Amino acid sequence: MYRGALDMNTIPHELAVGGVYLPPLLVAVTLGTIAAVLTALLFNRIRLSRYFFYPPLLFLALVMIYTVLLGTFVVRI
Amino acid sequence: MALSRKAKEAIKTALAMTLSYGIALSLGWEKPYWAGFSVAFISLATSGQSLNKGAYRMLGTLMAGVVSLAIIALSPQNRWLFITLLSVWVGFCTYMTWGKRHPDFWAYSGYVCAVVSMAAGPDPVNAFHTAVLRSQETGLGILVYGLVAIFLWPMNSRPAFETAAAKLASIQHQLLHAGLEWMAGQGDPTTVQQLRAQEIQEQKQFDQLLTAAETDSYDIWELRHHWRSYQHQVTELSEAMVRWRGNLTGTQSLDLPGLMPNLSGFGAELDGRLTQIGRMLTNQEPGQQSSAIEPEIDNTQVLHLSHFHRAALTVIRDQLWRMESLTRSLFHSVCYIKGFSPVVPALDDRPSATEGFGLPDPDRAAGAVRAMLIMWIAYLGMIYVDRFPAGADAVAVAGTFGLVIAGIPQVSIWLLFLPAFVSVLVTGLIYLFVMPQLSSFLGLGVLLFCATFAIYYLLAAPKLNVAKLMAISMFITVISVSNHQTYHFLVVSTTALMLPVVFICMGVTAYFPVDLRPRQSFLRLLGCYFRSCEYLMDALPQDPLKRESHLARMRKAFHLRQVSSLPTKLGVWSRVLNMKALPGTSPQQITAMVTALQGLSYRIQQLVEDRANPQAPFLVQELRSDVVAWRMKMTEAFRCLTEKPSMENQHLFNTELTGIIQRLNLRIEEVVDKATGNITDQDGENFYRLLGAYRGVSDALAVYVASAGGIDWAPWHEERFY
Repeated sequence: MYRGALDMNTIPHELAVGGVYLPPLLVAVTLGTIAAVLTALLFNRIRLSRYFFYPPLLFLALVMIYTVLLGTFVVRI
Repeated sequence: MALSRKAKEAIKTALAMTLSYGIALSLGWEKPYWAGFSVAFISLATSGQSLNKGAYRMLGTLMAGVVSLAIIALSPQNRWLFITLLSVWVGFCTYMTWGKRHPDFWAYSGYVCAVVSMAAGPDPVNAFHTAVLRSQETGLGILVYGLVAIFLWPMNSRPAFETAAAKLASIQHQLLHAGLEWMAGQGDPTTVQQLRAQEIQEQKQFDQLLTAAETDSYDIWELRHHWRSYQHQVTELSEAMVRWRGNLTGTQSLDLPGLMPNLSGFGAELDGRLTQIGRMLTNQEPGQQSSAIEPEIDNTQVLHLSHFHRAALTVIRDQLWRMESLTRSLFHSVCYIKGFSPVVPALDDRPSATEGFGLPDPDRAAGAVRAMLIMWIAYLGMIYVDRFPAGADAVAVAGTFGLVIAGIPQVSIWLLFLPAFVSVLVTGLIYLFVMPQLSSFLGLGVLLFCATFAIYYLLAAPKLNVAKLMAISMFITVISVSNHQTYHFLVVSTTALMLPVVFICMGVTAYFPVDLRPRQSFLRLLGCYFRSCEYLMDALPQDPLKRESHLARMRKAFHLRQVSSLPTKLGVWSRVLNMKALPGTSPQQITAMVTALQGLSYRIQQLVEDRANPQAPFLVQELRSDVVAWRMKMTEAFRCLTEKPSMENQHLFNTELTGIIQRLNLRIEEVVDKATGNITDQDGENFYRLLGAYRGVSDALAVYVASAGGIDWAPWHEERFY
């Protein structure tokens, strides 16, 4: 599926979708944003968001946290 | 087979688009899509509207060309000065775009400047060429569309304008009728609300079509000063009727037909005038002439009323008088315009008291800052992010979208993003799989015609206008037609990636620095509204004859404008509130609250106007302490409402306010008894007007407090993500 994923070196690698190479950071950011949106919907539903001072800032933080986690462990940037 | 209007308009746009591209390509001009953009954006319902838009686009483009060259010349090799100057210009244009004077001119001045500067900035040697090319291609698009609109199924604005004028007159007639019924103790407030909403919509339509008809109809152009005067009178009548209806609540316990003996005759005269105006606007001769009539008051009956009731009656009489004067002027204006009378009426086009040109508008200023911020974020991204999608083009697009979104912050950016993104994907397929098969302009022309026709036909509904413009813009951008046509997947992927980046810039500015989520915006505007009310109440002049300083007058005018405009803005925000997140609040409650605020606005404006009239020194001196007590109570109430939108103890507030009003009433009884001979008739009239205004503000505030009291405000203050 993706080239260089198993290489444990620093050579840049891309994800190939239908012959189009996508940067892994793009995939990680997209997945991170989707995960953050789902978390925000869940927090809204169970009214956990009221405990945060400014939820939009938390959303930004969630996007970053998910991107780093997914980039490190799943997509392997 | 007869073509529908929708199909004809789509064919006209598609034909103009194809011809523009064809001419630009045959002349060897680079970037022929700039001509295509012109066609796409000036294609409107009537030729007058299109020509107006085209003229503003041309003038705006010329202005933008000059400003772009000046910015580039002033900031050679200095990217920070360059973006500072450019963003300040875009911010200024954004501010002006959402004002009332020539919005199209400022919109094009701003966004074309962003496009030309970002296209020419990195290549300053060719800056002049770029600016000139943009101007000539814009001119080409306007010329081609103008000619097509004039020669192919010309759609003159005059019939639509005359229909709009007749419809507006008919709605005002129905509103007058409903108000008269209400005065007689009948009528339905819901009908009045619906008619009022229709009136606002029709007034907007009338204003737009008048401007268009002035351009494409010689008859309307010849009488333009009289039509403008008529437009002004219609607006004044609309406002006068709103104030009149608002004050009727204070007279519901009175026997108005008994107190005003000629009330039915007066109502019939006004009703007759509006009937005749409606007839004349549909080119029928008036069945009767208008004659001046005064609303009479039976003074013997008035003696049995309390002073507050006398005040309410005086206010109603004044408003009826104003309506009589306005309907008479309207009648004479229409008589002359339609050629039923040779008498030239006096022109009436004075600006309204709340329409100060120099007064700053905080919401528009916040929009301008937002547009600047969007440009800055995109520019910083372009400089510091490696391979930032579309580079300088993304900054220009960010500036353009920022200018658009700044004035409509309540519109979700998803509504703009989705049609744009879908259009990029569909156009991408056409670009990659269809366009490489074309070998001549014949094929390209057919493609341009079909695609433009499809977009303008399928998205013809007014509510899909934004989607239509987004779709055509992305189509023109992605196909990027030129004489040396190349095809590359990167064109599609870069545009597809640029969109999310630009929309992220826009999304960030929806939360920072000003939180533009609907609930927060609603609460913020509500706070601003009551802060302005508090200021106006606190700043009521003790002595109306004393001249206020220039600064004090400016501040008063600013807060008056805020008070008059904020209820409308609150109404707009109320439509996008997420009601599921607000348990304990119904849409009806919000509508009632916004209506109560509108009523309060009119009462406060009335109070400020009446307070400026001279008062008898004897009455002022005797009643000073009671009036000050009332004013302090109101100021305190507005201060509380600034912090919280409802009163904590509504019952206590009502009791205290009623107590103050009753004490004032008793004091007036005493003072008026003592004052016999000390006050003139004019002083008495002015005093009752002012008293009516005090009472009106108290009543309107009580109505607001009651409507806001039924809402559970706790969920409004609960933090949520969206």
